[in-house]
Amino acid sequence: MNQPNRVDGGQIDRATTLKFQFNERWLTAHPGDTLASALLANGVRLVGRSFKYHRPRGIFSAGSEEPNALVQLHKGAALEPNTRATTVEVFDGLYATSQNHRGSLEHDFLAVNDLLSPLLSAGFYYKTFMWPRAFWEKVYEPVIRSAAGLGRLSGKPDPDEYDHGYLHCDVLIIGAGPAGLAAALAAGRAGARVILADEDFRMGGRLNGETYDVGGIAGADWARSAVTELTSMNNVRMMARTTVYGAYDHGIYGALERMTDHRADSGDKPRHVLWRVYSKRAILCAGATERSMAFGNNDRPGVMLAGAVRTYVNRFGVAPGRKVAVFTNNNDGLRTADDLRAKGVDISAVIDARKGEFVVNTTGRKGLKSVQLNTGRKIETDCLAVSGGWSPNVHLSSHHRGRPTWREDIAGFVPGGELPPGMTVVGAAAGTLTLASTLSEAHETATRIAMDLGKSRATGEAPKARDEDFSTAPIWHINEGKNRAWVDLQNDVTTKDVTQSHREGFRSVEHLKRYTTLGMATDQGKTSNMLGLAVMAEASGKTIPETGTTIFRPPYSPVPIGAFAGRARGKNFRPTRLTPSHAWASESGASFVETGAWLRAEWYTRPGEKGWRDSVDREVKATRTAVGICDVTTLGKIDIQGRDAAEFLNKIYANAFLKLPVGKVRYGLMLREDGTVYDDGTTARLSDTHFVMTTTTANAVLVFRNLEFARQCLWPDLDVHLISTTDAWAQFSVAGPKSRALMQKVVDDLDLSNDAFPFMSCAACTVFGGTSARLFRISFSGELAYEIAVPARYGDAMIRAMMAAGEEFNLTPYGTEALGVMRIEKGHVAGNELNGQTDARMIGLDKMVSRKKDFIGAALLDRPEQTREDGLQLVGLRPVDANVNLTAGAHFLSPGDPEDMAHDQGWMTSVAYSPELGHSIGLGFLKRGRDRHGETLRSFSPIRGQDVMVEVCSPHHIDPEGERQRG
Amino acid sequence: MIINHPLLGPRDATEFVYLGDASMIERPNGFGEDVADAMYEYVYLRDNPAGEHRELWYHEQGDRSWLVVTRNTLTHEITEVALARDVARSKGRSK
Amino acid sequence: MADITLIAAPVLGGFNHEFSNCTLAERSDIALISVAVPRDGDTALSTKLDTAWTLTMPTPSTTTQANGMRAIPLTADQFLLAFHPDTNRTEVSVQDDLAEVGYTTVQTDAWVILELSGEGATSALERICPLDLAPDAFPTGSAARTVMEHLGAMIVRVDNTRFWLMSARSSAMSFLHAVETSCRWTAS
Repeated sequence: MNQPNRVDGGQIDRATTLKFQFNERWLTAHPGDTLASALLANGVRLVGRSFKYHRPRGIFSAGSEEPNALVQLHKGAALEPNTRATTVEVFDGLYATSQNHRGSLEHDFLAVNDLLSPLLSAGFYYKTFMWPRAFWEKVYEPVIRSAAGLGRLSGKPDPDEYDHGYLHCDVLIIGAGPAGLAAALAAGRAGARVILADEDFRMGGRLNGETYDVGGIAGADWARSAVTELTSMNNVRMMARTTVYGAYDHGIYGALERMTDHRADSGDKPRHVLWRVYSKRAILCAGATERSMAFGNNDRPGVMLAGAVRTYVNRFGVAPGRKVAVFTNNNDGLRTADDLRAKGVDISAVIDARKGEFVVNTTGRKGLKSVQLNTGRKIETDCLAVSGGWSPNVHLSSHHRGRPTWREDIAGFVPGGELPPGMTVVGAAAGTLTLASTLSEAHETATRIAMDLGKSRATGEAPKARDEDFSTAPIWHINEGKNRAWVDLQNDVTTKDVTQSHREGFRSVEHLKRYTTLGMATDQGKTSNMLGLAVMAEASGKTIPETGTTIFRPPYSPVPIGAFAGRARGKNFRPTRLTPSHAWASESGASFVETGAWLRAEWYTRPGEKGWRDSVDREVKATRTAVGICDVTTLGKIDIQGRDAAEFLNKIYANAFLKLPVGKVRYGLMLREDGTVYDDGTTARLSDTHFVMTTTTANAVLVFRNLEFARQCLWPDLDVHLISTTDAWAQFSVAGPKSRALMQKVVDDLDLSNDAFPFMSCAACTVFGGTSARLFRISFSGELAYEIAVPARYGDAMIRAMMAAGEEFNLTPYGTEALGVMRIEKGHVAGNELNGQTDARMIGLDKMVSRKKDFIGAALLDRPEQTREDGLQLVGLRPVDANVNLTAGAHFLSPGDPEDMAHDQGWMTSVAYSPELGHSIGLGFLKRGRDRHGETLRSFSPIRGQDVMVEVCSPHHIDPEGERQRG
Repeated sequence: MIINHPLLGPRDATEFVYLGDASMIERPNGFGEDVADAMYEYVYLRDNPAGEHRELWYHEQGDRSWLVVTRNTLTHEITEVALARDVARSKGRSK
Repeated sequence: MADITLIAAPVLGGFNHEFSNCTLAERSDIALISVAVPRDGDTALSTKLDTAWTLTMPTPSTTTQANGMRAIPLTADQFLLAFHPDTNRTEVSVQDDLAEVGYTTVQTDAWVILELSGEGATSALERICPLDLAPDAFPTGSAARTVMEHLGAMIVRVDNTRFWLMSARSSAMSFLHAVETSCRWTAS
């Protein structure tokens, strides 16, 4: 029969029928159903197997607290394990399967674990699998991991998209049950900007699952009208399907909105949006979660929370059983029988623990058949509705380490200690477990908060309702009978595990939790923590508040990792910066390398070239014999202006800058305050008050930050101003003996002869008949070279025009690899040498460092380590056997010395093949290196397996006198 | 966290870069005899209080202001935010 | 080389796309000049702005506008002048106008400007912009620098449902992708 367990009523759309699959069986449901309600409607009771013992399990709850009914949704890459059937909305075509069984759900081979349960108690693997030691990683762990556990991942990339977002409000209301709706109505009417978020797809909370009246109408109808009123307010944002999962600093909350999980087709929209919610105030209306009691075999399919049973019958029009028994320690539980009878469901027994009647055991392996009472009575029943009382959902209130406090009258913990700033807790979450009090408390609190925020429009009356009788007795553990009684259903923790761990000395709740794994499953013990605490209190003879409670951390319920990642996947992991010549370079055979966020051409492959070395060697040769061009836009460029700009630079750089003439460029060395080299680059003076600084590509942002620090914090009254122009100029290095001839063609009306525009000159000019430009005569390659900059919008046109103009000179584009080869040939230091441990002495620039002024790094230049006689110094290296390629990272040893750190002489920092010299060359740091040119050493790299002889030489492998660049 | 910028109002801490102890403002003169000891203290020695801490934050993804933020390192409560330039001047720093 | 003339190219090729509830377009017709206020030079600079364009200095979070010139705050002592250049008003002429009273730098090429307009603009921005863009918190004329999808960005509300989103030119493609994705994902 179709949906045999449907009864009248409920908030489902019976006019529409949906089809879905569970374990390859087609079943039907209605809009408004969860997967759990639909399975129950279809009479499916067995939905999964437990974590450790592979016990048959059914649906236990009706919400996100569900420990049992974990299923896998979808197929293929979209497969999602460990989804709570109680929160999944059914849509047409939904595909779900059970998980954690070998063989079928009905005949799980691993159910043998249940027979082995005496071996599998708390800490079993620490004790059982001790020997032989080597077996742990190879045998025991893989077997345990494959036997225990949850669903399986697809192993494929997640096909869904996820997004992030930012929301702002005066009042964030967390939970849209009676408290949340009443609070939102009051705050919304007062004129506050309100966000009302609820994890459920239907707002109303318990009102949808109960038969209370509010304002003279059915609670669920009142909830619907409240939602209608709130939706009409444009200062209220209604967010169903949204879990506020964490409370962070200063009123910031994390919220996960499930956008498309309830649809068959996402429409190419993100599945989830992870919101960062900025709130001035927050009202936590998270309600309470019902808990069970511990008695023998209390985990069978058909044993359910009483409130969940009412939810299924009232909200979903589903009877979870034909003959239902109720077992409760409180009056709230007694309502269950009335609600079921009203829908025509048979009640087989009402067992009130307060009257000394207890369930001690149950039967029915794959579905409850009967319950056994302490009185000896046996009751035939297919569903047992259990209520052990309600635990306030204090979770978010303790995210800032606030410790919940015990309230005897409700036998539960309520928010205590320091709440997150701006948070107020009302309703059941605050321990107000009755309806009328909850509504008025929520209304009054929200009205007061709105007033505090300056919103004083009338908020009307609190909704009227009756306070139901809620007397409860702290009965937790039915200590009669010999059968195992479960505390934590999801992690398979029984009362015996708790008492055993207590016997073994785990006295702190935090230790108990970790030893037994109680409350550490994906449900975070929402239905089990209280029970575990009570059993531990019983074992230790203490009260529950003396035993303590664990505190909660985000997230309230699981958040997919994909949602945290958001869009940051694949090539969108981080932004990409492109140089102005990027499109041209792509067309011209360039390979690109990431340098920070930048993509730079590393070399240009020409037809016939077999490997990168062919291309790089050609580019170097062409540049050194004719002329080459390289996009150097990525170097940081900072415009520095002001009456005190020269004075400022003089404090920033270790060398002198006060008297740099207008129209000149100077190499600048920047130190850290501890004397270590921080960055280097050239700075040009365009006018008395105007400089342009260049930094290394890697340090552009950091140098700018440090300059702002110096300007604002150290010398706040200097007239100096900074703005980055890195992106504003497309800058090209043009290097090689024919570069002057080329630049004369390109630059309008500027005498480029060596006398008129010598090495280290700069000028504003125009190129190609009028485009404004800046020309610098600087050289990194050691060749006669220029850098020419044009506004970035002309960058693409500029490289194409340069290539056309340079054709007659065989102008060759070169990439970062050729740039690297040429700087190593020339002995210029770069990132490999300036590694954060290098000082000016090491790179031979100590003579440049001023001793006549204060500058950043001036005071600590002469620390003992920096002035030691055997200090490291930059040298050049070449292999004794010219056919050997050197290895960066190799260490230097004197011939005959043992290979240990005590005899370490230094290391190779950079290596390259020099096409001009025809062999490999290197730079390195060597103890007393400047005095050791001509010496032969071992270059030893145990990692790369190289042990070769090298000769120490000047780091300037090419043109040591610098004649080319000055020529 | 949210930092209440003196000029711009409340802004998310993700816009800022953290440096550390605000004593970094009080840089001793680095030139002359016997400056090494003072500079050694300035460069290497920091308090690490559990409680109120005056610290430097840089509004890098914002107006590039350096700020002195007084923050409780236990609760993250922020009790005062000032422009570092004003703080520097109040400490007698100028050119 | 009189036979070659360099032609300026918009970094996003003049991107322009209409989504169901908003429009996203590259603005490559705006010149930007940054102006730093010399120490103790506020009065001279504001007098000059007034005489040249009847423009007032922007506040830290509000732009000012007059005679086709918009001043957008950058830092405590620096702002951008944004204008549509023509034969009478060029980058050079504006720099010349301010030569004695402020330190200017051409910033036209440092930024990409995306104009996002339409009823859906704020929903799209909710996904990338951490700032509160409610009309009373960020009214027309407001400007702020912030971070969007890891990129430094400037947002200016030029009209109730029209925003300028500015970011670094070199990462313009990534910035466009971020904003365009937001538009697509929030389109109805």
